[in-house]
Amino acid sequence: MIELLPLFMFLAVCLVILLGYPVAFSLAGIAILFAAFGSAIGHFDMAFLQALPNRLYGTMVNQTLVAIPLFILMGIMLEKSRLAEDLLNNMAQLFGKVRGGLGISVVMVGALLAASTGIVGATVVTMGLMSLPTMLKRGYNPAFAAGTICATGTLGQIIPPSIALVLLGDILSTAYAQAQLSMGIFAPKTVSVGDLFMGAVIPGLILVGCYCTYICVYARLRPDNAPAANEQVSVSTVALLSSLAPPMLLIIAVLGSILSGIATPTEAAGVGAFGASLLALLRRQLSLQRLQQVLEGTVEVTAMVFMILIGAAIFSLVFRGFGGEELVSSMFASIPGGALGATLAVMIVIFILGFILDFIEITFVVVPIVGPALLAMGVDPIWLGIMIAVNLQTSFLTPPFGFALFYLRGVAPKEVLTSNIYRGVMPYIGIQLAVLLLLALWPSLVTWLPGQVN
Amino acid sequence: MGSLMISANSFIDTFTEFCGKLTAWATLAMMLCTCFVVVARYLFGSGSIALQETVLYLHAFAFMLGTAFTLKRSGHVRVDIFYRHFSLRRRALVDAFGVVFFLLPTCGLIFWLSFDYVSNSWAIYEHSPESAGLPWVYLLKSLLLVMPTLLLLQGIAEFLKSFAILRSPANTSLTASE
Repeated sequence: MIELLPLFMFLAVCLVILLGYPVAFSLAGIAILFAAFGSAIGHFDMAFLQALPNRLYGTMVNQTLVAIPLFILMGIMLEKSRLAEDLLNNMAQLFGKVRGGLGISVVMVGALLAASTGIVGATVVTMGLMSLPTMLKRGYNPAFAAGTICATGTLGQIIPPSIALVLLGDILSTAYAQAQLSMGIFAPKTVSVGDLFMGAVIPGLILVGCYCTYICVYARLRPDNAPAANEQVSVSTVALLSSLAPPMLLIIAVLGSILSGIATPTEAAGVGAFGASLLALLRRQLSLQRLQQVLEGTVEVTAMVFMILIGAAIFSLVFRGFGGEELVSSMFASIPGGALGATLAVMIVIFILGFILDFIEITFVVVPIVGPALLAMGVDPIWLGIMIAVNLQTSFLTPPFGFALFYLRGVAPKEVLTSNIYRGVMPYIGIQLAVLLLLALWPSLVTWLPGQVN
Repeated sequence: MGSLMISANSFIDTFTEFCGKLTAWATLAMMLCTCFVVVARYLFGSGSIALQETVLYLHAFAFMLGTAFTLKRSGHVRVDIFYRHFSLRRRALVDAFGVVFFLLPTCGLIFWLSFDYVSNSWAIYEHSPESAGLPWVYLLKSLLLVMPTLLLLQGIAEFLKSFAILRSPANTSLTASE
């Protein structure tokens, strides 16, 4: 019974966080209570926690993680300076004459915006506020509009340079090194954030392509539900393109420099944030007051992410102290089907956890626990990372608990019924599952591109 | 709420807000330094380790001091499936409970475990492992003590706020606006 303690600790956390106290502190608090209990009954050695300060210091000086606040700064700057909003309006004008054109614009802008914030909630809320009223006003079907926005919001998990992938890349590289060490490989291969970005390119494009195809097909079949703009737009194409080009170029430059290996994610993030600030300044959208708002927002989100990291670090030390890792490994070994069976089991668990935990928490809590064991069974780290990302995306969309749905419900007008939202996301869930299956059957969709570059 | 509690609360809030604004500008400095590093490296072909470490210091400074600020602005993620439907009183109950059983132990643990770690670093005035790096590693490590202290202070302020809501009879029938 006592060897199942780590499992109970995990269940306790899942229950307690439903109370609604911030996840970071709940994680750490529960772990500490369990550690105190375990130590009292002589089953936990407090010495395990001695590693904590050095671990936290490691987080403070981790070069990869420096990219996080910089990407967040870039994202918030693009959002607060109304660049994203203008981008959407311009795109909508460009594609407006096509049936479903506004929907496609929402997917495109959402993907770009989401990529830079990487937090489902933020993207869904922003896109919901920005585009839902316009879509409804244009006569879009509420279910279709709501579904498109939710799906677009989750896209940010996978489109590089999402911070979700930065975090996942960092954790996976540690897990990969650990797995190879446990197999007796002392000159381990590495996996970097850049590899993960590269691996995400093709799946990301497939997803965006599928979304757009679905929108076009839907608009053709139900013209009344996704009408073209009927007002005559008199904006010249040149003016349109000149307002579209700068933000697009910025994002392409950031991505391109990372993917081509010219710059590290951190450098690209810093320059990207600077570029976004410059754009905001040129467009006279950057007063001192707004700058202050953007910077404060950056600190809030950054500290939120890192506090979860700290909470999860405490949790995982206690988990390890209770022998949780051996427990997980032995559970994997008992699952039939070897690596495939174990991966499937992990995917199902992560899907369910996605109902209550956000990407960041799952990356920090679950991946360090299951990662080394899975990778030691020979699973490709890049493929695993992308599978986790797409899987979570689907989880966030799935009623009744999907995160994206809650966030949209929070900002959607009353005419949009909750059942509308549920109905609207169904086709997108179908698309996601199909893509997940595709990636499972042909892992080379993920691994080919990184392999070409290395 | 007693006047002592109110003034303690507002003092802590002001202090945390000040720290938050300070760290906010640190992120801007971080961005500029990163750009300098890039320009220096790609245009002039010289990498400055000291400047790179400055970015790390600013980064650590921002998120370690920012946690308390984020707590004050309620920016730490909650799973609010149920919480959002709770009455104001019940929310206050959850928050007060959370401070006592989760937040305080977390701060205590981090402080307690880090104390020797930080004092060892101070004892030798630890220098960066890189010879061209910054010589203030002991200051950087001290953030491990500053962070839980600030967080604890703000935690107390949050507890007092929840306590006031629980004590106030006017709030018994209030339901949350959202």
